[in-house]
Amino acid sequence: MKKYLRLIGVLMKLSLMSQLEYRVNFIAGVAVELGWMLVKLLYVAVVYRIGVNISVFTPNHIQIFIGIYVLMTGFYMLYYPNFAGLGQMVQSGELDMYLVKPVSLQFIVTLRQWSFPMFLTNAIVGSILIITGWQKAGLAVNVKQILGFLFLLLCSNLLTYSLFLIPYLMCFWIVSTGGIESLSSALWDFNNMPYMIYGKWIQRIGTFILPIFIITNFPGLFLMGNLHPAMFVWAIAAPVLFFILARILWKKAVRNYTSASS
Amino acid sequence: MEIEVKHLKKEFSYYKKMVGLSGSLHNLFHRETLTKEAVQDISFSVAKGEIIGLLGPNGAGKTTTLKMLSGILYPTSGQALVGGFIPWERKNAFKQRFSIVMGQKNQLWWDLPASDSFYLNKCIFNIDDQQYIRTIEELSELLEVKELMNVQVRRLSLGERMKMEILAALIHRPDILFLDEPTIGLDIVSQQKIRNFLRYYNEQKKTTIILTSHYMRDIEELCERAVIISQGQVVYDGMLSKINHLMGDKKVLTLKFTEDISIHQLTSFGKVRECKCREGILELPKEGLRKTMADILSCLPVEDFTVTEIPLEESIALIFKKEGAVL
Repeated sequence: MKKYLRLIGVLMKLSLMSQLEYRVNFIAGVAVELGWMLVKLLYVAVVYRIGVNISVFTPNHIQIFIGIYVLMTGFYMLYYPNFAGLGQMVQSGELDMYLVKPVSLQFIVTLRQWSFPMFLTNAIVGSILIITGWQKAGLAVNVKQILGFLFLLLCSNLLTYSLFLIPYLMCFWIVSTGGIESLSSALWDFNNMPYMIYGKWIQRIGTFILPIFIITNFPGLFLMGNLHPAMFVWAIAAPVLFFILARILWKKAVRNYTSASS
Repeated sequence: MEIEVKHLKKEFSYYKKMVGLSGSLHNLFHRETLTKEAVQDISFSVAKGEIIGLLGPNGAGKTTTLKMLSGILYPTSGQALVGGFIPWERKNAFKQRFSIVMGQKNQLWWDLPASDSFYLNKCIFNIDDQQYIRTIEELSELLEVKELMNVQVRRLSLGERMKMEILAALIHRPDILFLDEPTIGLDIVSQQKIRNFLRYYNEQKKTTIILTSHYMRDIEELCERAVIISQGQVVYDGMLSKINHLMGDKKVLTLKFTEDISIHQLTSFGKVRECKCREGILELPKEGLRKTMADILSCLPVEDFTVTEIPLEESIALIFKKEGAVL
């Protein structure tokens, strides 16, 4: 475990150093993400302008959900380039050089590169949205609330990693996964508003079968005191279950790896 | 034996694609799956500290064999033990003992100095600080790249980059090394430097090395023994010096004359390889060479001559041509 934490530190440092080699590109990356951020903030502006309430949630509550979505997007984007590049690695046989290293292949391949421009923008704006929403909504601020919220964010990160890695593993069989990538991005965007806006069946599927709604909704529901204890357990169990599933599929996928001609 | 390979076989499945759009449309609904035997039945062994050349034409199965021996690919059947490990079990203890360098693949971070990639390898292989510093010092001096340690990889020449790749592969001091065309695309000076380094390293560390290369100089200078594979099968396993013997023990005689001669004047002595004005090249059997030489010297206006072995490339090319024939 110590080795892997140290490796994450080294890989993050190397990634940041690589990105800073191209200053203009780094700044442009931040600028583009800021542009996207404005689009996301429009949702917040619209919610306040209309004064819409969803279920028992006021615009302040909705701002927290959107904030969590923005923050989680930042965390996902931090390692997303590794998922997106997996197909290319399989196609070009680049995976060969990682298969011979005494380290978990899944770890080194999926957490090798860290993208900071996208992370920084999303993390800062997302955190501001959550904190201001939290204050305006008059929700309790105590150790239990903060620790519980951070713990659920941690679970959400594990779930994001596991759930969204699975479709990319298809590249070991079908090599080109452009269509699957688009579908996966579309699924991610389902979370840009609280899941209560969807119908009952979509809510159930998105909570229990393809639990994308857990990622951004459950930490928010916990803050608002609306997370049922059974759902709290599911918020912990689902990431573990999907991580195990991703691990099994990863092992199967790698066995199917045929490398590429030299 | 450090490396033992028995009846190793690797099949790949692929599908046919007919030319043109109609072929693509047909493939959308139905794909005929075919099987290719990249490696059919390969057996050989390598002793500790030995350095052998794995030779064969493109597509013979050399790289596939090396990939199976390093655990990158699972074989379809057969057995292999490398340093006492089954490679495709991919145990960390095995990965600590060997390394692979592929001339066409790289592990260095493109935008950063190679020293940063070395440090990452240090952390991956759990190398202690003292050993790491010693290894970098020693290898960078031997490979003459000390002053390039802080230059971004993208700014290095191909030769310098390959030296850095070799250094990165040796940081954990492996006792088994697989080299897949390590000198590909390099100029003659860089090739020679890498050969010198590998020879020295092999002598000093007693590293077991399997080398594939299309440059015969690499093989001739580094290996005493060669395993030649063609169409996924071993067609020769033995000393390089004996390959010529297999081809009928012949010598090449290069002659320079004081005046122009015609091809007809040479044909009576042996097989004429080349004849132009005042130069001629003959292929002669080793047996009776002395007498033939004496005849040539007495009959023709010879100014100078040299006798050499048949170039290794030619002997090996002949072995490749003997399709399927195991020598």
